[in-house]
Amino acid sequence: MISIEARLARMALKGDQQAFAEIVGLYQDKLYHMAYRMLGNRQEAEDVVQDTFLRVHKNLERYDQSMKFSTWIYRIATNLSIDRLRKRRPGYSLDAESSEHEGLDGYSMLPSDDRTPESEALLSETQRTVHQAMATLPPKYKSVMVLRYLHELSLQEVGEVLDMPVTTVKTRLHRGRDFLRKKLERVL
Amino acid sequence: MKCNVAILYMHDYLDDELPAVQTAELKTHLQSCEACKLRFEQLKRTEAFAMSALSDTSTLPIAAGAATHEAGSDRLSERIMGALPTPSRKRSWTRMFRNHPAITVAAVFVLLMMTSFFSMWGQDTELVVSGTDLQHVVIEGDTVIVPEGVQVNGNLTVENGKADIQGEVAGDLIVIDGSTQLASTAKIIGQNREINQALDWLWYKVTQTVSGFAN
Ligand SMILES: [Zn+2]
Repeated sequence: MISIEARLARMALKGDQQAFAEIVGLYQDKLYHMAYRMLGNRQEAEDVVQDTFLRVHKNLERYDQSMKFSTWIYRIATNLSIDRLRKRRPGYSLDAESSEHEGLDGYSMLPSDDRTPESEALLSETQRTVHQAMATLPPKYKSVMVLRYLHELSLQEVGEVLDMPVTTVKTRLHRGRDFLRKKLERVL
Repeated sequence: MKCNVAILYMHDYLDDELPAVQTAELKTHLQSCEACKLRFEQLKRTEAFAMSALSDTSTLPIAAGAATHEAGSDRLSERIMGALPTPSRKRSWTRMFRNHPAITVAAVFVLLMMTSFFSMWGQDTELVVSGTDLQHVVIEGDTVIVPEGVQVNGNLTVENGKADIQGEVAGDLIVIDGSTQLASTAKIIGQNREINQALDWLWYKVTQTVSGFAN
């Protein structure tokens, strides 16, 4: 049984632009959502989506069908997002967080151009707290949380996307979850 | 059961990976331990809040200049498809020959000169940047960058390198044997062409020569 995406990929490889446009249609919104949750910035998220598809297009030939197409494309997008996060600011360890830096408001570290009164009003207090806490999470925890919560991937699938053992995924998810719990304590 | 074991079980439970026997053990512990009971409640709510906050698409920002999510999404699709390398140029070549007999005549002329052109093509692999307004263009290795906010007043030609356009090019952007990257802030007023094959390169040189004659 060959997946729709694999079939489209094969057609695109032969130069069928429409087939590639179908792939874009299938994944663009999912990738944008994911990249935005990783980066918290619209423009950067759009750039990551575009770069992801350019890479997919360039490497169609190398797509290994033993891997789910979604796994492959999520992996590319996640890696591009992590690269951008790492370039953005110096490494920040979750261990340093245990001493509870209260002044460290992740949300205010984000570029503000996307924050309109309308979008602010749409966010509930808890949602805002979740996003603030997520913004302070190091990329390696953030990617696990985003894949797990946004796409509702199984731990196994998260491991495949991030190319790491399930045990590592679990550890990061648990630490990330506990980190969020501490941040949310006030509103829980 | 010790509390640290109970905490591990809580996470496994939330991951949907705690076997029935251990689940029962956890429940027994929670009945007798207030601290763990509170923690478990908090974790369950954290899980629910994280899931709803992260998966909520209504709080995603809409692309600048677009009225709705759909319009923003369409714009991004267009941008992506526009940024892809142009496919099978040869097909459009044959179409051009069919529709414009004069070009066929020119092609015969071109064929006569082909050998010399082909030997010229591929000779120089060094980065060549040409244009009328290059003072704000940044060159890093083999990448030619037009930084954000910068306007290049005229054409920009990059040979054997990458063009990374974040700003504006008022004329044409031509990349020969290289690649083009357009940031979302990029704006190219003229044509944007990538020339990668010997044949295309030849065509480019010929049209340059012809327009040179015409001028
Ligand atoms: Zn306990």
